Amino acid sequence: MTRATPLVLVVDDDPSIRQTLSRELAAAGYDTIEAADGVDGKTRFEESRPDLVITDLAMPRADGLAVITAVRRIDRTPVIVLSVRGEEEDKVRALDRGADDYITKPFSLRELLARVRTQIRRAEAGPVAEVLRFPGLEIDRARRTVVRDGQDVRLTPTELAILELLASHAGRPVTLRQIIAKVWKGAPATTVDTVRVHVGSLRRKLEPDAANPRYIGTEPWVGYRFLAEPET
Amino acid sequence: MPADQRANSRRGGAAWVALPFAAALVTFLARLAGANATTAGFAYLLLVLGLATWGGWAVGAAASVVAMVCFNFFFLPPFGTLTIQDPANWAALVTFLIASTVASRLVATARQRAEEAQSRQREVEILYDLCFSLFAASQRPGVLGEAAARTLRAIGAESGGLYLAGEEAPVSTFGPESLPIDPDLLQRTLETQEIAESRGAAFLPLHVGGKTNGVLVAQGPVAPRAVLESAGRLLALAIERERLLGEAAHLEAVRESDTLKTSLLRAVSHDLRTPLTAMRLEIESLQSRLAGQPEAIASLAGLSLEQGRLSRRIDNLLSLARLEGGVARPHPEPVPPNSLFHAARESLSLILANRTVEIRVEPHCPDVWADPSLALETLVNLLENAARAAPPARPLELAANPDPESPASDRRVRLEVLDRGPGLPPGVKRMLQGTRDLRRTADDAAGDSAAGGLGLRIARGLADANGGVLTLLDRPGGGTIARLILPAAPEPPDPEEGAE
Repeated sequence: MTRATPLVLVVDDDPSIRQTLSRELAAAGYDTIEAADGVDGKTRFEESRPDLVITDLAMPRADGLAVITAVRRIDRTPVIVLSVRGEEEDKVRALDRGADDYITKPFSLRELLARVRTQIRRAEAGPVAEVLRFPGLEIDRARRTVVRDGQDVRLTPTELAILELLASHAGRPVTLRQIIAKVWKGAPATTVDTVRVHVGSLRRKLEPDAANPRYIGTEPWVGYRFLAEPET
Repeated sequence: MPADQRANSRRGGAAWVALPFAAALVTFLARLAGANATTAGFAYLLLVLGLATWGGWAVGAAASVVAMVCFNFFFLPPFGTLTIQDPANWAALVTFLIASTVASRLVATARQRAEEAQSRQREVEILYDLCFSLFAASQRPGVLGEAAARTLRAIGAESGGLYLAGEEAPVSTFGPESLPIDPDLLQRTLETQEIAESRGAAFLPLHVGGKTNGVLVAQGPVAPRAVLESAGRLLALAIERERLLGEAAHLEAVRESDTLKTSLLRAVSHDLRTPLTAMRLEIESLQSRLAGQPEAIASLAGLSLEQGRLSRRIDNLLSLARLEGGVARPHPEPVPPNSLFHAARESLSLILANRTVEIRVEPHCPDVWADPSLALETLVNLLENAARAAPPARPLELAANPDPESPASDRRVRLEVLDRGPGLPPGVKRMLQGTRDLRRTADDAAGDSAAGGLGLRIARGLADANGGVLTLLDRPGGGTIARLILPAAPEPPDPEEGAE
């Protein structure tokens, strides 16, 4: 990133949400620009190349999906989608199309700012490290070992692949379709139930208390999210 | 009797009458011309062939005998007697009889075949015309009467009517006079699926794919039976097609209405939640800016609580609208009860701020198989009702355990919200005794708390949609147990096998 202060593009057709978000993002130390619909959003993105995009899904003239597609054509810039309940399928479609995270209206400001921080940090972090470290957990991608609380955890190759995928996207949702595409290389017989079975078994081996997962959280309708914050 | 048979018999009669005159004419002309035996023999042969062609085999055979007698009497010596002197003439006479009989037989058979072919051709033409008029000429629904009239015209009926199965009066009638219909015969035709006849009227069963759609009654049809059967089948197909067209139109309308409902609900959902989001953001923004002013913060907390309540009510109403509008399709997946409980507690963090909520999940309790959003919404409603009912000092409890009453083949999980409030309001109790009418539930409970009643109504609708059962029970020692029974998620197989 070349800017001293990250620039955030807020795309929403509702002026009060746009203004409040801009004001609060500014208060949290970000520069902001606004767009009132998808078409405007695409233009603003191309002009200013912001460091993060927050976009509503349902908008007049070009919706949020169109914004995501336009952004992904140019860059890996993080995109956070604002969705409402009842738009679950659109949310999953947005993630599969390249959005990095979503937040459901009415959301809390604190929650949104936390998601923004995670995305900006991820964008600054560069390539994923060889060894992923989280509180109480270490995943060595080269040696293919997993150590939790000082104990080796023996995982099958599929479980390890799922864990690596989720951990390298720590703090961000990963859809079931993305897991099938990356871990099973999109093998046609793979179903979401197959994924759930393997994640269930991974949780039993990894989580100290399976009922209160510390690492792998379920995102209803969507997939999973790695919950632990990476250690720097 | 069909028309071609009547024509045949008329023609046969004329040939019989013509036989003696024709024989006399041939004899007279042959005598006049002074023909010898051979020439006369050929002339008689021509007579036999002609009559056989005209009147059929029987006339041909009679003509052979008459011609043989005349041949013998007038042209074989001794002339004027039926005796034969020369044995060679016996041979000629017998040869003539055999030749004329065989020839007349052949000619008659050929003529009969030609007539049959013509009749088949006419039948095919009738059926083709009918087929075309029934299936190609009309694409609009509601033309059964027209189809029946076309069929009756095609089979040459003077009048008739179409009776559909299950309807007493005819769907349509055709022709000048109304038909006296024997209802028993109509019923028998429907059951036996065979053509019946009564007083010049034919009852054609209209059956397709093993089921009879109705009966076509035709007064005085002229078409042969095979054509009547085929016409009946064609009309049955036309009726079936009309029915399918009607169904397709209905399905199309239902689908369009579903699409409309879905997009309407989406738009309403988006339009209601957007201002709520703006409100929430403004409240939070004010909270951080007015941090040093406790009175303002207290007001904002109240505002925030109300905003949360409004937000949940809107969620509830939209979920209910979706469920009742038939556009909500639950997406069940395995959900750990613990995460549901934590999420429910978190959703009500403001309401439950100063209260104790105990969460108890029995070890080895299976995950539930439910749509996570719907299951969460149900629990939030139940928990909110419990929080409202019970005094703040008494803890609320959330418990999950395997349902002891469900069989091993159909495992279920009990999710319970327990409080130490005053127990069930009488209105709710009344409607819990048997009836499952959610509207009544809401109305009855309205006296106690409109929101509580709505919440309950929604909770039950959501539970139904999740394949679950919601019951409210009096809790021993005071209070209420809201018990949501949901299917257990299937036990995952061991992924170690065949993992890679």
